[in-house]
Amino acid sequence: MTHDEIEKAIIRIFADQFEIENPGLNDNLRDVYEFDSIDAIELLREIEILLGVQLTREEKKAAMEIRTVNQIVDYVVRLDRKIE
Amino acid sequence: MERRVVITGGSAITPIGSTRTEIVRHLTEGLSGVRKMKDDELLVAHIHCQVFGTVSDPPVFDFARRDRKTMGPVAYYACQVAKDALAQSGLPDEFIRSGRLGVAFGSTHGSPTVQRDIYRTFFSDDSSKLHNVGAVDYLKSMVHTTAVNITKMFGIRGRVISSSTACTTSSQSIGFGYEAVKYGLQDAMLCGGADEYDTTTVAVFDNLLACSTDFNDTPHLTPRPFDKRRDGLVVGEGAGAVLLEDLASAQKRGATILGEVIGFSCYNNGGDLILPNREGITLAIEQGLANARIEAADVDWISAHATATKMGDVTEAQSIAAVYGNRPRVTGLKSYMGHTMGSCGAIETLIALYQMAEGFIAPTLHLEAVDDRCAMLNHVTELVEAPIDIASIQNFAFGGVNTCLFIKKFSG
Repeated sequence: MTHDEIEKAIIRIFADQFEIENPGLNDNLRDVYEFDSIDAIELLREIEILLGVQLTREEKKAAMEIRTVNQIVDYVVRLDRKIE
Repeated sequence: MERRVVITGGSAITPIGSTRTEIVRHLTEGLSGVRKMKDDELLVAHIHCQVFGTVSDPPVFDFARRDRKTMGPVAYYACQVAKDALAQSGLPDEFIRSGRLGVAFGSTHGSPTVQRDIYRTFFSDDSSKLHNVGAVDYLKSMVHTTAVNITKMFGIRGRVISSSTACTTSSQSIGFGYEAVKYGLQDAMLCGGADEYDTTTVAVFDNLLACSTDFNDTPHLTPRPFDKRRDGLVVGEGAGAVLLEDLASAQKRGATILGEVIGFSCYNNGGDLILPNREGITLAIEQGLANARIEAADVDWISAHATATKMGDVTEAQSIAAVYGNRPRVTGLKSYMGHTMGSCGAIETLIALYQMAEGFIAPTLHLEAVDDRCAMLNHVTELVEAPIDIASIQNFAFGGVNTCLFIKKFSG
């Protein structure tokens, strides 16, 4: 997937699963949208479905410092390249 | 220090309505909320009982996703009645979040709907099944899900008590909340219980031969507390909440006072976990009266637990007669809606308040021919216009738990 395709997919997940429409790409998700640790775990499951893989514990831990949509997109891009 | 404890808010979701107006209409017009059981594609085909006390017209839940994401059906019910009770009380946000308000709220076993989904995932053939259990499934299904979803939604920081004693869940919630305010541990407590539509509970009672089965084609005619033709209980769903508050604080802020909790007792049979026990129930009634510092003759109306089982009603009638004689009027409210399990104590408390406010006493529905063994009581068999000054709400649970709550019309 291209960077743009992944970004669109993540924004769609935010709309469909978290009822957050068009989040600012550099907004702090916790501060602006009350996106909490429970949401983060749910998002990782959505990313697994998107990529068709099961993330390792290390890959999941690497996501714990992520705060913005741009960071999520970069994270998914890295995972996608690793899979390819 | 002992403080007087008053009720300044309340709300219920029941098979006979989710507003005071609807509930009172059903009580005064003799309308049942028991319906044909809905097919769950799992248990219903194997259960002999085919009726359920059904919330057929639930309120619209207008909750933000932030709150919804950790809720199973039981927490939706709990949070809605909690929201309504808080709104009616008029407590300001700063008080609600101050730590001076606590929550005592429970359910029989969390959310069986979510638990069923988890087990369905476990037993599926999908190789990734463990990953399909959602991060929030435990939060939705755990036994204290009602209490903590309420704390989360409203930012309540006080103590959390989450009773899970089946049929005495919410009467314990009110009783323990009453004690917390009475002894100054909290200035207010949001108390109640909820249970969602659940066929597992029906299957359990069905296997124990405790469920009604003779009225599967006429659900509106069962359960029949104290009646000769009673053939068992009917499981139901619902929720009830009351806001308990220190009298002085309530008066200081000019709150409308709906009633006063004047006593509570909770005693165990100390033996069999299923069979009703006359000694245990009698002890609970006697100690409840002592706790309320009133005489048996002071009680005007008793909301009997009266599930319509063969032996339970007789045992309760014997205990009531032993303590009260035949003076107080007695109603079995489960005749209208079935046994709403963890919410019944709170719902029956609210109905006591509605009756106090409107000056009527509802009859036990379907009580056409009183069982001779229960005939020594002052049964209400038709709608009565009569004042209630003091009401007692009796509830008994599997495990031998017996509770009595005493509610007084507020008179300053």
